[in-house]
Amino acid sequence: MKKLLSVLLVALLVAGLMTSALAGAADGKKIALVGKSAGNAFFEVAANGFKAAGEAEGAKVDVVYPEDATADAQIKVLDNLISQQPDAICISANDVNALQAKLEEAMDAGIKVSAFDSAPNPASRQVFINQVTNDGVALGLMDAVYDIAGGEGKWAILSATSQAANQNAWIDAMKALMEADEKYAKLELVEVAYGDDEPQKSTDQTQALLDNYPDLKVICAPTTVGIMAAAKLVQDTEGCAVKVTGLGMPSEMLAYTGADDAHSCPYFFLWSMPDLGKMAAYTTIALINGDITGAEGETFTAGDLGEYTITKADDGGTQVILGPLFKFDESNVEEFAKLY
Amino acid sequence: MAGKSGRSISNIPESPIKKLIFGWEGILILVFIGVNIFCKWFSEYYNMFNLLRQMPVYLAEVFLMLVMAFILVMGEIDISVGSTVCLAATMACIIANAGTPMPLVILATLAVGTCCGLVNATILTRFSELPPMIVTLATQIIFRGIAEIVLGSGGSIALSDTAGFKAINGKIGSVPYILFIVVILAVIAAIILGKSTFGRKVYAIGTNRLAARYSGVAVQKIRFIIYTLMGTAAGLCAVFMVASSYGANTTTGTGFEMDAIAMAVFGGISSTGGKGNMIGGIISAFIIVCLRIGLGQRNVNGQVILLIIGVLLIAAVALPNIFGSLRKAMKK
Repeated sequence: MKKLLSVLLVALLVAGLMTSALAGAADGKKIALVGKSAGNAFFEVAANGFKAAGEAEGAKVDVVYPEDATADAQIKVLDNLISQQPDAICISANDVNALQAKLEEAMDAGIKVSAFDSAPNPASRQVFINQVTNDGVALGLMDAVYDIAGGEGKWAILSATSQAANQNAWIDAMKALMEADEKYAKLELVEVAYGDDEPQKSTDQTQALLDNYPDLKVICAPTTVGIMAAAKLVQDTEGCAVKVTGLGMPSEMLAYTGADDAHSCPYFFLWSMPDLGKMAAYTTIALINGDITGAEGETFTAGDLGEYTITKADDGGTQVILGPLFKFDESNVEEFAKLY
Repeated sequence: MAGKSGRSISNIPESPIKKLIFGWEGILILVFIGVNIFCKWFSEYYNMFNLLRQMPVYLAEVFLMLVMAFILVMGEIDISVGSTVCLAATMACIIANAGTPMPLVILATLAVGTCCGLVNATILTRFSELPPMIVTLATQIIFRGIAEIVLGSGGSIALSDTAGFKAINGKIGSVPYILFIVVILAVIAAIILGKSTFGRKVYAIGTNRLAARYSGVAVQKIRFIIYTLMGTAAGLCAVFMVASSYGANTTTGTGFEMDAIAMAVFGGISSTGGKGNMIGGIISAFIIVCLRIGLGQRNVNGQVILLIIGVLLIAAVALPNIFGSLRKAMKK
């Protein structure tokens, strides 16, 4: 009996050693993930991706939300976290500059700081996990327009407001790409319309585009409100051959996505939020383990996502880029619609 | 005479020590000790060092409570202070970014706050029949509106040189400057409200404004001074808000007026006027600060923390009533 017991114990011990040897690169490390505010389904998808990847590597991940969506509330959360001394903090910032004092204090206390989804200023972070660059958005969308229009013809952009910084950066990058590359020479951008990210105004603007340009081939809307309004109107209009693409939410675009004529949108783009969370987790673990410090040119492996290199960001800090735009078509839109 | 809150004013003077122990302040001290024991048990990170390190962001709101207590004792309210903090913080950043020396920046910030207070004070004393709730609701919108216009489309401004404001975050040992300032100002405010003729006049206004006026109290003058000082306190709060975030944005100071009112009311200062004292307000402020830090350190959901404080507030308002009726029942 005693023998059996000791054999069992030894077996257990060996099993325990095995599992700990099998477990990941971040055993027993504590990571805090700070969101912008509670109740944002879109962010929670990324947070779940982060948590799953972090825990698979053996880290303990706490997802913390401030009491409201302000920088002041995030400062209180950061104060709490500094008291807890986690190994790393990954944050989606409510304000670019307001968190600098606290995040510097955290870094001084030896806590690694990364950011994703929404970046604080370069002094407040070691590295930013960026979903996609402006040029990446422009290239993805231009190729979609080129492909859907069949290489030539008229197309239009339906944007949000004329002052929206990210929209304008993408539109300018698309225009620059059209001028730089001969491939797009036969595509004619007829108008940039502004739907102000309001469903009704976006619908009206789409109608105006359809009326003014009868031979229009493609409408490209790099805004989730715009693409949904345009896709709905085009699909509901009898005999309309115009196709819609752009940046959209799978759950909102589910009814309009398909390769056949019954659907108005053959495919559209966004980034994969689960992958973004996963990527952020691997980057944060690489910071903890000292594989990277957040300096330009460093490389690391982000699990099954592959090898990544840290590059310079537009704001003067450093970033890693998740990758090109993520494509949603009839093969995967239903699956992602369940998430966001 | 039984007041609205159920506490009665007796004409037999009680000994002040007995009053302190058996009164609301005694209960508050017990609650304060209880909260600290609870937090120590609840959070392994709850210690003096972390408490002092985390306190400054909460203490900025205590400045507001100090003057808000006077307004509540008068039986009035000022809900524009959060917006005043936002506007003063915004102007502080702009003035600092223009290269102004630090002492002048602080003075200018206090001046901006004082001006906002002056606006409230002027409207409320010139048209003394207007309800303060509505007037300060209007200025709440106006002050934040101005701040939003100044801040422009980005909605946020950052300090170009953070050294000056970083110095404000300094410490003596591990005690932050702001704690000293809070304690000094709290003592001054407590003496003025509790021991001076000015304070007694404030109570008189809160108990019966008309009677106070007929007894020769310059009601409008006192209201004018207090509402103006409320603005100055908001300016002081703004200085520390900028120091904690190296900038300002459109959400700076959101909800601060309610936090300040909550601290005061929990401290036994009745919003119907004429009751309560500064000591209660100050103890309750520290109860709320300790509770928020203790719960926050274990990552308790922010909404749950607010919920707990809400329940405490209702209890604070209801308890005197319950005790009052109990005492009555015992006398019978």
